[in-house]
Amino acid sequence: MSEADAAVLSIADLTIIRAGAPLPELERFSLQLNPGQTAIVLGETGCGKEALFRALCGASRPDERISGAIRFGSLGPALPQDRQGSGLRVAYLPCVDQGVLSPSADVLSQFVRILARRLGLPRASAREELRLALGRIEGAPPVAALRGRPGSLDPGVLAWGFLAVTLAQSPDLVLADHALSQLSPMQARNIAGAIIAAQKQLGFALLYAARGTLATTWLGGRVLVMRAGKIVEEGPAERLASSHAHAYTQMLYKSATVQSPVQKHTIRGEPILQVRGLRFAAKKSERNTADGITLDLRRGASLAIVGEPGSGRRELMRAMLGLDKPAAGRTIFDSVDIGILSRSMVSRLRRRVAFITGDDDVLDPRMTVRDTVEEPLRAHLNLSREHVAGYREAALKRVGLNSIPGERTVAMLSSFDRRRLQIARAIVSVPRLAVIEEPQRGLGPLEQSVMIDLLKDFRAQEGPAFLILTANFALARALADDAMVLKDRHVVERGSLAELVRAPQDAYTRRLIEAVVPRPEEGLSQAVLQG
Amino acid sequence: MTSAAAQLAPGAAPPLRKFARIAGFAGLGAIAVLAGASGVIARAPAGAAGIGPALRPPSFDFLFGTDLLGRDVASEILHALTVTAADAAIAATVVLAAGSLFGFLAARLPWRIGDLGLWLMGVLNAAPALLLAILFVGLSSREYAPLAAGLAAAPAAFLRAFAKARELSRSRHAEYARASGIGAMALLKRDLAYEIRDDGISTAARALAAVAITLSTLSFFGFGAVPPARDLGLMIGAARATYFDAWWTAAFPALALILFVFCARLAAGLDEGERP
Repeated sequence: MSEADAAVLSIADLTIIRAGAPLPELERFSLQLNPGQTAIVLGETGCGKEALFRALCGASRPDERISGAIRFGSLGPALPQDRQGSGLRVAYLPCVDQGVLSPSADVLSQFVRILARRLGLPRASAREELRLALGRIEGAPPVAALRGRPGSLDPGVLAWGFLAVTLAQSPDLVLADHALSQLSPMQARNIAGAIIAAQKQLGFALLYAARGTLATTWLGGRVLVMRAGKIVEEGPAERLASSHAHAYTQMLYKSATVQSPVQKHTIRGEPILQVRGLRFAAKKSERNTADGITLDLRRGASLAIVGEPGSGRRELMRAMLGLDKPAAGRTIFDSVDIGILSRSMVSRLRRRVAFITGDDDVLDPRMTVRDTVEEPLRAHLNLSREHVAGYREAALKRVGLNSIPGERTVAMLSSFDRRRLQIARAIVSVPRLAVIEEPQRGLGPLEQSVMIDLLKDFRAQEGPAFLILTANFALARALADDAMVLKDRHVVERGSLAELVRAPQDAYTRRLIEAVVPRPEEGLSQAVLQG
Repeated sequence: MTSAAAQLAPGAAPPLRKFARIAGFAGLGAIAVLAGASGVIARAPAGAAGIGPALRPPSFDFLFGTDLLGRDVASEILHALTVTAADAAIAATVVLAAGSLFGFLAARLPWRIGDLGLWLMGVLNAAPALLLAILFVGLSSREYAPLAAGLAAAPAAFLRAFAKARELSRSRHAEYARASGIGAMALLKRDLAYEIRDDGISTAARALAAVAITLSTLSFFGFGAVPPARDLGLMIGAARATYFDAWWTAAFPALALILFVFCARLAAGLDEGERP
């Protein structure tokens, strides 16, 4: 049997042209995947991988014209819709926020329904299959953890669920569509490890669409770097990350690597945020509170609270800023004890706080770009539209959104544009404190790099103190001076960030660091990752 | 494969719905012109009897025929349409103020006052709007039938607006705005402005269709328009005695009412008010 006959997926000269588009979405794309092999299609949004995956899933848009051949298994050239006839089991592993699940229904019952349909089983049997699949994956949560609506579950738990549904189908080919994005580095690393282990056991071929280069580190295999519908180059990840790669590939890898540490800012005097013995619960009903947390954040300083989702970092921030009532302790923000203030006074005090998050829903989708940036000025200072126009335009220019029509609504913007819009909104409000939570989540490497540069510029020019909530030590290292590692609402370790990265004392801290800076034996060398 | 840019802007309507809205507004506009110019267009003044022989079927002389008193049905329909449209406009305004606006504000009231309003309106909404309207007419008088019809339709509008306002106030973007010090009043103004812009016309047109049916039914049963003013419901009700011998006396007013309601529903974009 020839190598071509053994292939589970053969794509030859696949070209996808969208009606009215000046350039093809995908141009003469060829790929062959044999059982057990991994191929990662790496590129930014719009590079062609989306069109490729749509074609592979048989979900191309009506205005897309496809030429070339896609062959599943050993059958002759076939359309994607015909792949059922090939006897090949193809499973789709989506990104957790892709909207695959209904937001209003229980996740477990949805997974069971998907599995029952895919395997042609009664639901009770499908549920048992799912339970067994979860049990076989090391590190996966029990099936009961999938109870709840998608919005109420941790993205990591959802990702484990999706993986279990995929593996329960005993696939020959897995099409993974940004399956590791939206996860914290440690979650991504654990799930990537589980995929590799399952691949060794089941022997499936894996085609992974990636925006970030970290997936190439964890999954290995062959990487196809794409840009504007064409393959720029392909090869093993280690070679592509080296200086011998194409300039575009180097740029992708360098922008995603551990950022150069933040330049030490001068601590400018008095503290902006003083937290004393703060205790908080994960839920209002819960009596189990964290240790009393004490910290100081001075004007212009930057502190990263590093921990996985569920570590209590968000609850800590909410308690600190008076968004939730703490169980004990006090917070002094800008020389005012917020515990003694009324709700309206706390709200007024929070005008000095800006939020920049990796959540695309934090901006009102109905608002225009112009209104979104102007709102803090107009609501806080009652300024007229004419008075704020100059500030608005300057802020939009700084984040590179000045070319977007001001009347465009937020709903029409991309994730990257929405994040930059959040920064523009923060710039005009000239805050004393900026709370930054995973602003790079779900973005491509170049976009992440731009976000970090914009945040650095924001800090340098407006001088707010940064409170960074993240699970990503690379982000913390790029933006923060100090760090506090949080696990299960307890402070595991704290100190200067450079010192923590250099010599972590706690195993959890070490795991968090290694999730973004792998050990040499795990794949790419640290030197390569650090560019 | 997700792309935020691919999402439709809120309020953006699919082409078919846009077309329905345009057609609905064109129809309502035509009805408004006809109603406004009824004094000029109509062959006879309102209620003028003996214009022709009694119960004359539709013909070239009398396009929609005549009724038992020899009144020209076409002229009567034009006059009745004026009454129906004017009363429906008043009732729809009541629905918007006492239902939609109140519901939107009530969702943000503190100390569970809003929840109390929700409960009360839920109870009222459980009763058929027509029976509520009859009750309100009984408590006041037939002259206040438009007010009664508006108040009877208000609970449903209140519940829709309340649910929407609660959803908005619990959204991530509202939480984000509150966290960065945007006050409750600023948020309310913002939500109200966008709601009026995106849904105001649909809500008003939907209310217009609902109250037109309620008002006509009230008049049909004799609880609505007070003679000599006659609306379409009263015309249909008056034609009950002659319907099986002279179908045109009831069928044409009924068609006019259907056309009015249909145009209002088209103007609402055939939107039931529920969102996915």
